[in-house]
Amino acid sequence: MADMSKEGQGLPPFTFKVEQVKIKELIHAIGDNNPLFLEKETALSEGYRDIPCPPTFITLAFQEFTGAYFKAFEALGVSLQNVLHGEEIYEYLGEICPGDMLTCHMIFQSIVEKQTKSGRMFLITLGTRVTNQRDEDVLKATSLIIEKMTQDGR
Amino acid sequence: MGGDRNMARYIDFRSLELGDRLPPVTKDPITKVQLVRYAGASGDFNPLHTDDQTARTAGMKGVIAQGILIMGFMGQAISGWVHLRDLKRFKVRFRGVTHPGDVITVRAAVMEKKGSSEGEVVLCNIIAEDQNGEAKVSGEFEVLNAIRDNR
Repeated sequence: MADMSKEGQGLPPFTFKVEQVKIKELIHAIGDNNPLFLEKETALSEGYRDIPCPPTFITLAFQEFTGAYFKAFEALGVSLQNVLHGEEIYEYLGEICPGDMLTCHMIFQSIVEKQTKSGRMFLITLGTRVTNQRDEDVLKATSLIIEKMTQDGR
Repeated sequence: MGGDRNMARYIDFRSLELGDRLPPVTKDPITKVQLVRYAGASGDFNPLHTDDQTARTAGMKGVIAQGILIMGFMGQAISGWVHLRDLKRFKVRFRGVTHPGDVITVRAAVMEKKGSSEGEVVLCNIIAEDQNGEAKVSGEFEVLNAIRDNR
């Protein structure tokens, strides 16, 4: 059950490097064949400084590189098997390319308890500001996570 | 720099009117290997996406696709329509589970055009639906038609 007193707190900032091979893995998993994400020449010819990150790349960062989602659930006392991903919002503020060092500042923006026909639930909003090695804001991510409580309140 | 970017392969958002539809993108049927591949790429090894037995125990008919994979399909469609430098916002709501064999089509249409200090913003709705027309993930995205294009 989400600890509502944690609202406004967050995870310590964490940093990771954007790797071209991770972009390639994502693109291949999606089944995309857009040369923009696979060939530097294409990216340069379209005015990018290098291969740009695909629109959903940052999600990988919250899972694989850092385990941030899981750390957030742990900090909030949320049980993984009750969790549903409700919404995901990305605001793109700057270009992200391989070699960039991104720092994520994740805040537990709001935690709201709700009573619905299907039972009690918590709506948890995680807001993450992402900055690069030049301390420029490059992305803002907002994730709405739903924690559904079972009948016996676990 | 960037003045020579090849815009020919993208949609000209300046010429779009309210209600205009973007060319739909239909994906190949989802495969189990694809789910494993996405698990590897994302590092999210929740067995609900890779192990039928676990998925059945959880009350599913079998493994389900990662919602973010379907969002990735939508991202693929968007990156085919929009020069990513003009993509300012992308929001989705996860609505239904998807299984291997399902064929996802991504559709989008212009919902609103509004002014901003940086230029005109084109707001589009976007939906990923299966072969039965059932919505799996829906949302919206914003494209900026910048006032100056010599970025």
